[in-house]
Amino acid sequence: MIRYIKIPMERVAVLIGHKGETKRSIEEKTKIKIDVDSKQGEVTINDMDATDDPLLIFKVENIVRAIGRGFNPTQAMTLLDDEMDFYIFDIHDYVGKKQTHVRRLKGRVIGKNGKTKRLLEELTDSYISIYGHTISIIANVIDIDIVKKAVDKLLTGSKHATVYRFVETSMKKIRLEHGF
Amino acid sequence: MAREGIAHVFASFNNIIITITDMTGAETIARCSGGMVTKSAKDEGSPYTAMKVAQVVAEAALEKGITKINVKVRGQGGNKTGTPGKGAQAAIRALVRAGLKIGKIEDVTPIPHDGCRKKGGRRGRRV
Repeated sequence: MIRYIKIPMERVAVLIGHKGETKRSIEEKTKIKIDVDSKQGEVTINDMDATDDPLLIFKVENIVRAIGRGFNPTQAMTLLDDEMDFYIFDIHDYVGKKQTHVRRLKGRVIGKNGKTKRLLEELTDSYISIYGHTISIIANVIDIDIVKKAVDKLLTGSKHATVYRFVETSMKKIRLEHGF
Repeated sequence: MAREGIAHVFASFNNIIITITDMTGAETIARCSGGMVTKSAKDEGSPYTAMKVAQVVAEAALEKGITKINVKVRGQGGNKTGTPGKGAQAAIRALVRAGLKIGKIEDVTPIPHDGCRKKGGRRGRRV
């Protein structure tokens, strides 16, 4: 199966890495070939129909997309784990294309000196990246629902305190359910 | 007698539907969805439900003599989010574990050639 993904030009360098380091390490770990067109930012992923795990290509696709969405390679590589899931919010879906609105919403999710983002990350063991007009999340399959709801609440205008409270209580509930 | 089939896996964020058909795709052999194995509506899209759905389907298919399947995964598609949800991966993994041989995996998510306008309107999603 062959997949095509487009990533921003300035993230191409991160995907390839210093002297091709990052790209090579992904290829070695997964045995999937990644072709990068560094003029257009187009990435071609080809698993050559020879892999033992047919699902790896989806993971590599997510990794490339995560790097394109502002995550650093080490964070993106956690997606190789079965448990981890990846999700992208598009701020344009919430407020349209007006720059001032997009900036305001980004600020809401980041918080003062990055407080909101840090709190969300710490409470749910997730990674959040805010880049351009997207907000992307890497988190555990179970926790990602909560992070998604929390970010959605922030984007639709809930107060920060409400969101913190929501995350704290629901994390506690989940920890109890899954016996931690 | 090794019969082949196609497993159509539709995995959205809120539900998963697996249909196993014969090679032509016209004759349904087994079918299951999230709501048929779980009680609460909020669990219909979870990976665990996907696994159970896959098990139910695989069992029925094996009983009818299907041993090898090609998989067609599909996400929401159109002007909505493109990639198949986490449920798809869990489901395929469960199909393998249930004893079905997997041939090709294909992504058949519909891709718009710049079709309809996304829902939400000019001022975006408001609550």
